[in-house]
Amino acid sequence: MQSFTRRFSPPFLLLLPAFVIIAAVILIPLVFSLYTSFTNYRLVQPASLWQWVGLRNYQRIFSDIDFWWAFGRTVVFLTIALNLELVLGLGIALLIDRITTGQRVIRTIMMFPMMFSPILVGFQFKYIFNDNVGLINNAIQSLGWSNVTIPWLVNGWTANFAILTAEVWMSTPVFAILLLAGLMAMPRDPIEAAKVDGCNSWQVFRHITLPFLLPFIYIAMAIRSLDVARAYDMVKIMTNGGPAGRTELLWTLLARVGYQDARMGMANAMSYVSILLSIYFTYYFFRKLATARASLGSMA
Amino acid sequence: MTIARGFKAALFSCAALCALAIPAHAEDTQYDWGKFPGYTLKVKLIGGTQYEKLYTRIPEWEKATGAKVEIVSSKNHFELDREIKQDIASGAITWCVGSNHTSFAPQYGDLYIDLSKVIPATTLAEFVPGTLKSAEVDGRLVQLPRVTDVSNLYYQKELYENADNQKKYKEKFGVDLAPPKTFDEFKQQIIFFAAPPNLYGTAFAGKDEGMTGRFMEIVRANGGDMFDEKWNPIFNSQAGIDALQWFVDIYNAKAVPAGTVNYTWDDIGQAFAAGTLAVDLDWPGWAAFFNDPKSSKVAGKIGLAVAPVGTAGKRGGWSGSHSFSVTEACDNKEAAVSFITFLTDYESEMMEARAGNLPTRTKAFADVVEEFKKNNNTYMADMFSTWEQSLAEARTPPLVPQWIEVSNVIWPELQAAIVGQKTPKEALDTAAGKAKQIMEDAGVLK
Repeated sequence: MQSFTRRFSPPFLLLLPAFVIIAAVILIPLVFSLYTSFTNYRLVQPASLWQWVGLRNYQRIFSDIDFWWAFGRTVVFLTIALNLELVLGLGIALLIDRITTGQRVIRTIMMFPMMFSPILVGFQFKYIFNDNVGLINNAIQSLGWSNVTIPWLVNGWTANFAILTAEVWMSTPVFAILLLAGLMAMPRDPIEAAKVDGCNSWQVFRHITLPFLLPFIYIAMAIRSLDVARAYDMVKIMTNGGPAGRTELLWTLLARVGYQDARMGMANAMSYVSILLSIYFTYYFFRKLATARASLGSMA
Repeated sequence: MTIARGFKAALFSCAALCALAIPAHAEDTQYDWGKFPGYTLKVKLIGGTQYEKLYTRIPEWEKATGAKVEIVSSKNHFELDREIKQDIASGAITWCVGSNHTSFAPQYGDLYIDLSKVIPATTLAEFVPGTLKSAEVDGRLVQLPRVTDVSNLYYQKELYENADNQKKYKEKFGVDLAPPKTFDEFKQQIIFFAAPPNLYGTAFAGKDEGMTGRFMEIVRANGGDMFDEKWNPIFNSQAGIDALQWFVDIYNAKAVPAGTVNYTWDDIGQAFAAGTLAVDLDWPGWAAFFNDPKSSKVAGKIGLAVAPVGTAGKRGGWSGSHSFSVTEACDNKEAAVSFITFLTDYESEMMEARAGNLPTRTKAFADVVEEFKKNNNTYMADMFSTWEQSLAEARTPPLVPQWIEVSNVIWPELQAAIVGQKTPKEALDTAAGKAKQIMEDAGVLK
């Protein structure tokens, strides 16, 4: 034991448990799932774990138009959702920052949507957008705006809009709360100095508040881009990727292939292709974060 | 004296009645469920209101055998199926009894034991023969059926009895308005009754296996099938194209809710109970719900009719059974078999039947109809008689492990045709191509 501790430095020994745990819960599953993506592994046939099929799963993915539609749709969904959440979250944060009394109450109310499970949000919006008994169609008809029943969850555009609405409703508070934290941590002197120098509100926001908030924005973006897969539950309940694949996102497709069809080898291959998407988004936001920090440093 | 003679006669009659009653009662309770004191039987059972009533009998079995039942999982069937697949993958089969279904069973390989080797033939003979046969996979009885499902028509009687409707229908089609006998007539009536947004002709399950199953019914009723004898997909035949066209026509006519392509069973059942559907091809489990004034606006106003036939003059009834299975890995198979036999015995089956489910024991089928008639519940008695007629022609989906996977490539294509993204032929050819690849990969295609 003594020779063991003598051979390895204390920092290494102290970090060892962390390495072991990370290897057990992240590294090994990652390597294992990468291996299975080259096999014909089916959940219900454990022996198929050893059926090596080489690049067959990947070749099929590259010629599978449905996969690429789901991939493209996910990219568009992520881009629109994140930007909308940012704009709305920023707006809410700026408004709440101005409140002098009752700010705590408003902050708590703002976080309500985050407290719901995505499954419940899915059911809630499925009901709101239901073509037959839904809240929106009933409101439109009761107000006499139209007698036509709008099939919100059927038409490709409106179905994606409905899902996007649910996602934005659920996740905007995440942006709002992170950006509000940024606003509250912001020094007031530069703003006051700018106002004394005659800057209008827009100029103050554009040249002082926004640059200061950029690191917070990119951190929020990076977190949300990885976290947005939580929307799986919601999409599963609202449309399950349908009708006719019109709302199919990578997550619904992967779950169907992996668990319902039990083709875990193929699902893992799809995951490895789509992981590129996560890596790209994370890399992009972290690069932006570094730039924002650097420019903030030069400002100081 | 007269009083004493009367008392004696009453006493004698009572004794005679008791003597008659005791053996009948004894016959049901005499069954020896075995003794397993101190043993804990781990089970994974399907959850949900309509399934859980049966589980109230579990304490009876526990009392009779001395064993305890631990329900380690209780979920809807799709989630349970996912969990079981994960158990197989991880090799963690630490439970003995699982809820099963004829559509799911072929996927599980050798997870479950062959019950025909452990349950006496006399007991098995008490089950409806066709239902028991459908419970086999590769000649092995891997599940003991609990309730059977097949769909028939529920319709709003008032719409059919309305003089104005009768007159208009006769003028338009030259025949009297009566529940449809063929799918063509069914389509005609769906479109005739539709007056959206308050009333639609019908609604159909538009996604998952529900969509594939409804399509399969009409394909078979039209004389086609899903696969040929070599497991080549043949649902893109003319019978299949006509079947899909049926859905496209009622959808294009706006005679079904536009959102029906996202509907599952609950959405349809709730819509019929809300009175927004004229006719509903649906499962027996809804019968009591539809006729209960607390849950349904159409209670007391429902007619029942046997499902229509297709162009081949056949009924393509899609049937399946909920069931129980015993795992190979079980450490006390005797207790597990005793438990599932108990949950499907005569008393259990009567309990299921009283709730409106189709029992799997022949005797329970006849007895529950008698019981409903005796209680003047003609609606439920009619339901059982109507549903029994369609059971003879009903068939399960293809009993191959790849069925759910094949279904998952079919229904999105059916949806694509229904919402006008593809023609029925294009959609079915694409689905057949994908299904063929699945069967080839599995080495099933001969």
